[in-house]
Formats: sequence, C-alpha cells, structure tokens
Amino acid sequence: MRFTKLLFIIFIFSFGTRLSAQTWVVPDDQKAITAPFKFTPEMQKQGEQIYLKNCQSCHGLPGKDNWVKLTPPPGDLAKEKAQIQTDGELFYRITAGKVPMPEFRNIIAEDDRWWLIAYIRSFNPKYIQPNPVAKAAFAGRTVTLAMEYSDPMKKIVVTATEQLKDGKTGPAASVEIMLFVKRYFGKMQVGDIKTTNTSGKAFFEFPADLPGNQEGYVDVSATVNDPKNAMKTTPAQANFAIGVPTLKPGLTETRAWWSTRGKAPVWILLTYTLSVIIVWGFILYIVYSILKIRKLSNG
Amino acid sequence: MTMDDNKLTFDKITSDLTHHIRINKGFLIWMGFLTISLLICLYAYSLQLSKGLGVAGIRDYVTWGMYLANFVFFVAASLIGMLISAVLGLIGMKWLTPITRIAETIAVAFAAVAGLVIVSDMGRPERLAYVFLYGRPQSPILWDVTVITTYFVLSLLLLFLPLIADMAIIHRKVSTLPSWLKPVYKVLSLNFTDHPEQNKIINRAIRILLILLIPAALSIHTVTSWLFAVTSRAGWDSTIFGPYFVSGAFVAGSAAVIIAMFFFRKNYKLQDYLTDMHFNNMGKVLATVSLVYLYFNINEFLVPGYKLKRADAVHLHELFVGKDAILFWIVQIGGLILPILFMLFRRFRKPLPIMLISIAVLMAAWVKRYLIVVPTQEHPFLPIQHVPQNFVHYSPTLIETLISIAPFILVLIIITLISKFFPVIPLHETAREKGIEHIKFD
Ligand code: HEC
Repeated sequence: MRFTKLLFIIFIFSFGTRLSAQTWVVPDDQKAITAPFKFTPEMQKQGEQIYLKNCQSCHGLPGKDNWVKLTPPPGDLAKEKAQIQTDGELFYRITAGKVPMPEFRNIIAEDDRWWLIAYIRSFNPKYIQPNPVAKAAFAGRTVTLAMEYSDPMKKIVVTATEQLKDGKTGPAASVEIMLFVKRYFGKMQVGDIKTTNTSGKAFFEFPADLPGNQEGYVDVSATVNDPKNAMKTTPAQANFAIGVPTLKPGLTETRAWWSTRGKAPVWILLTYTLSVIIVWGFILYIVYSILKIRKLSNG
Repeated sequence: MTMDDNKLTFDKITSDLTHHIRINKGFLIWMGFLTISLLICLYAYSLQLSKGLGVAGIRDYVTWGMYLANFVFFVAASLIGMLISAVLGLIGMKWLTPITRIAETIAVAFAAVAGLVIVSDMGRPERLAYVFLYGRPQSPILWDVTVITTYFVLSLLLLFLPLIADMAIIHRKVSTLPSWLKPVYKVLSLNFTDHPEQNKIINRAIRILLILLIPAALSIHTVTSWLFAVTSRAGWDSTIFGPYFVSGAFVAGSAAVIIAMFFFRKNYKLQDYLTDMHFNNMGKVLATVSLVYLYFNINEFLVPGYKLKRADAVHLHELFVGKDAILFWIVQIGGLILPILFMLFRRFRKPLPIMLISIAVLMAAWVKRYLIVVPTQEHPFLPIQHVPQNFVHYSPTLIETLISIAPFILVLIIITLISKFFPVIPLHETAREKGIEHIKFD
C-alpha cells in the first residue's frame, strides 16, 4: 500500500496544476516612448481602416464590448484597462504581441501602428496627447535592389543602388546580397552570400538542374543580408525562364494515400467498405436472430 | 441428483447471485457520490465549452495532452473483454465462466466512454458527426471511429445475449426486484423459456460474436496505435506499435478485471463463486501478459536506443534521465517489473495482494499512456519559433484534470449500474455447469 501511496504522491506532484497566468510586462524605457507626430483626425481615419482589417476579428469594435472569447480575453480597447496605459505601452503591446495576441512588428508599419493608437485614443475624451518626440533622421544607408538575367554570362545580376547624401542615387558597393528561389514551401537560398562590387553589382550562378514550371520559369528574389537592421532596404523579385521545364501532376490529382476523400486508392475503399459490410452484416444477423427468440417460447 | 436436489441447488444459486439486485441505501449513497463528482467535472467541461480549449494546458506543441492519454487508456482497458471471453473462452477454459460477465461489463463501459473521451479534446464538439460525414477512408482517424463503434456494439451484444436467460429467471424469482423494474426485465428477457431452439440461437450468436470480437478488438487498439505510429515523430515512429499497444492493453484490462472481481466478491458476497483459484489464475494471466508487454517494451526502447538517431536521442534522454525520468522509471519498475516478480509467487496471487498489485499496474498503465502521448510532442522536428514557455513544456491545468477525471466516474457509474441490476456472474450458465439441465419456468 505504501507503494501505491508513493506513486500517487508523485503522480500529483508531477502534474501540478498551473494555470497560464503569466503577466505581460512592458519595459520601462518602452513605456516612456511617445508618438513621433501629433495625432490628426486624418490619422484616426487611417487607423480605423487598419484596425478593422487587423484587430476587429478579436477585439471587436471599440466601445461595443463585442470582443471574441479567448484566453486570456482580448478586451475592449476603448475601456479603462487599455486607456490608462501610456501610448508607449500600447505601442509596445501591438508591436511585440503575446500569444494569442499576434506580433505586428513586421506586419504593420511603424507609422501605421501609431495611427492605430490615434484611432484607439479617439474613444477616450479625457485623452491628451503628450508632446510628440520626432525621431532622429535615419542615418544609415538606404539600399534598393534590382535584378536581371544576363544571357551571355548565364548569370543573375543583382544591382544595388543607394540614396546618396546629395539626394542623388548611386551604386551601392560592399552590400551583402542573398538570392532565393521559391519552392513548394518557402524559399531556398541559391549559392552563398555575395558582396556587391564598386559598381553595385553581384553575380549569381544559377544551377542548371532546378525544376521550373511548365515553361521553365522560376521565381527568384534578392534581399540584402542586414542582420543588425542597420539599413533601409528594398528587395527585388523577378521570374526568369532558367529552370528545367517540369510538368508534375499536383499532389492531389491522382489516387493516393495523401489525396482527398474522392481520390482514395481503390484497394483502401474496397477493404474498408467490405470489412464494414461483412462485420455489420453479422451484427444485423445477430440482432435479427435475437428477435426470433421471442417467437420461440414453449407453447 | 434428484429433482428436489436440483431445485435446491438452483434456488441457492439464484439467491446467491441475485440477492444484491435491489435498491438499497449503500447503492444510493455511492451513486449520489458519483453523480455529484460527475457534475463537478461537467461544470469544468462547460467552462471549456464556453471559453475554448485554452482553459486546458494543451498548446501548439502538445496538442494531445491528458485527454488523448485518457483516450488510449480507455480503449486499452476495453480490450479485456476480447481476451477473457473470446481468446481464453474459445480455447475452452472452464474456470472463466464467473469472470466473463465482469470482463464484458468492463469492455462495454470503457468502450462506450472511450468515444466520449475523444470529444473532450475537440474544440468544436458539435462537429463530431463530420468525422463520419467527411472522413477520408485513407485516414486512421476514420478507421478508429469505425472500429470503436463496431467493438462497442459487439461487446454490448455479447453482454446482452447471456443476460436473456438470466433476466427470465430474475423477473420470475427475485422478490427484491422493485416492482416498476419487473416489466423491463420481462420485455428484455424476450419470452425466454429455456426452449432448446432458443438456446441454440443464443449459443450460435455468441459463437459468431466471439469470433468477430477477436479481429475487431485487435483492430481497435492497433488502429489507435497507428494514430501515432503513422507519423514519423521520435517515439511514435515504430513498426511494433500495434502489438506493443495490444499487449499493454491486456495488462491494463486484466488489472481492471482483478480489481472489479475483488470488490464484487466482497460487496456482493460472492466468495463461493469467485474463489482464490480465480484470483490465482487471473494473477497468472496478468503475469503472462505483463511478460509479453515487457518484451515489447524492451524492443521499443532498446532498438532506437542502440541506433540513437538524433531525434530519438533527445526523446530517450528525456525519458531515461531527463525531465520525464522519474515517472518513466516508476512506471516501468513499479508498474511492470516488480509486479511480474511478485506475481511469480503464489502467495501474491491471493485476492488482497493481487488486487493491490493490480491497482499499481492500472495506475502505471495510465501514466504510461501519458508518457507515450506527451513527451514526443515536446520535441518536434521543426520547433515553432519564438513561442512562450508554456508551449514548450506541457502542464495540465486544474480544469483539464477535472475533465479527464469525468470519464473514470462515468465508467464507474456504468459498471455500478450493470453490476447492480444484473447478476455479476452468469446465472443460467453457472446453473448448467452445476448440472442443472433444464430450468422449469412456471
Ligand atoms: C488573435 C486575436 C487578436 C488580434 C487579431 C489582435 N489582438 Fe490584441 N489582444 C489579444 C489578446 C488575447 C489580448 C490579451 C493578451 C493578454 O492579456 O495576455 C490582446 C491585448 C491587446 C492589447 C493590450 C490590452 C490591455 O488591456 O492590456 C492591445 C493594446 C491590443 N491587444 C491591441 C491590438 C491591436 C491594435 C490589434 C490589431 C492590430 C490587435 N490587438 C489584434 C488578441 C488579439
């Protein structure tokens, strides 16, 4: 009996019941951040559009208390719980997210996120916007990529141009470029990272054996390798007829294990149906004979 | 035997096996306790229904938590009906007669509830019918719901058929039967009068059922194991998952039968029918199936442990020395190896010790299902990036625990009701084996 008790105690301990009540803390320096511009009615209108598209599905309409029941609850953003927070806090929460609240860092541009706050604040008559602190002008490089296929060289040429101090544009040297080709799921990198030369160009050899679509087209894209986010960059996309023309039936076009219901392999359909019919045939027979028992009492 | 002797023995058997069929205080208190506990658990479930599956600890990594461990456990326990009645019964083991109905009752209760358990894991339970309406014949999920339904119906019929004769006896001879219940027994006994033709029909139907039960039972647990084994995840990607699950199921089921035997014998005073011999023999059955299960366990862990592919290494590390090690070794040693060693000795196969051993085995069987279902999901091949900590490490919530307890209460309710309103031990069959050829119905 001691043994079962021990088992029980360990059982209880190892399944300790913890409800997921983590708090959502905003770092102090983020709390203090204010919008870089003064909110205008125009911004509120823009913010409303963004809100309807990205937020309404969970938070409902501000002031209407019609948010979706999730755990933890999203809540109505017009209500006090959200409105007593600083702009910096709201901005941080929208930017960083916390499951199930999505992270909007890379989905909604920075200015647009401020417009959202302008919209959310428009439901709070007591709100007075703190003085905007304009952001320091961006000091890094602003690089734009373009791409073409050079037939004589049999290479993909990526050209990087950058904004120069005098407002003109010029070739961007020593920029690290990555080339990708689209595949079934996501992208595959082609070759290594290449650095642009003094005329802003980087050359990529494209493998001869990669499958393309029916006409041999492949979708390629070039991006700047900038892990520290020190530049503002614009990637390039193109499609070239440089793959091997391939005609593959779609994954669900033939009968197969993984295919849809209507495309099940015949032998599976037969085995399944026959087994069900045979076994249930016997079951029905038994039920029928049970009914016969009634009629057979000793007369 | 003379006619009078016959009548005497028959009357004694009837009263021994049916004296508990009455509504008494103990029964009402026990049912009241079960009902209240069930209501508490149902309240937890209503919270899950209104707030969503987020109230449970399951997240994007571990989507199959306690609920699925529960499901596998319930399917497993239900398999015992097939082992006792079909396999051992068809071989012709006579000593089993008093145990068959207990095994069938357990099979019916667990199979019926297994279907419900799966619903506890569904975010939109009202769409349950879609599994049948839109299921793909290629998917083990469809096979699983098909075989579980089939197995449940087969077990129910197998429970019912031998009861026909018993109910005919009860509604004529048992005076403690509440009067409002009498007509129910009369209708269900289908005018049974021990007519040879009637017996012939029943015996033939039972034979067909016993034969069908073997493939059906093997399928339900093999298919349940395929729900895991057809994915290529470390810990599930195994070719022996079918037999591994089936043998584990026999272990859990035999333990459940022994525990039930012990309590029925004590509460319903069946010492003359469920004797030490029956416990001794069931102990041998449990020891045998445990040995088979141990053999599959060695295969299941030694082979991947020898090759140690990267994902398997992570998985086995967590089980053997990592986060799940304590549970794992308690289950393997306390729930399998030690019980086997004890059961080798006759004195541990006496009713009380074998019942205690069975409780340890049954609890370990549940935790083992948990260890099969959960740890694998904590190490996916392609981990999701930037997720909160509670995605990576599953810990069940209180609500989830209550919802997982509900099926156990339901099983107890079903077993209690069946055992309370019908003879726990087949009456008609026992009478026959005692040499009473024909029962007089007046
Ligand atoms: C998938 C559903 C979902 C979407 C879409 C969503 N949110 Fe949320 N949001 C939540 C949840 C859930 C919480 C509560 C999180 C918590 O408390 O841990 C939340 C919290 C917040 C908070 C903090 C509220 C408070 O009271 O502290 C803000 C602000 C917020 N969301 C803004 C937005 C904005 C703006 C959008 C649209 C760009 C948005 N959310 C889109 C689910 C969502």
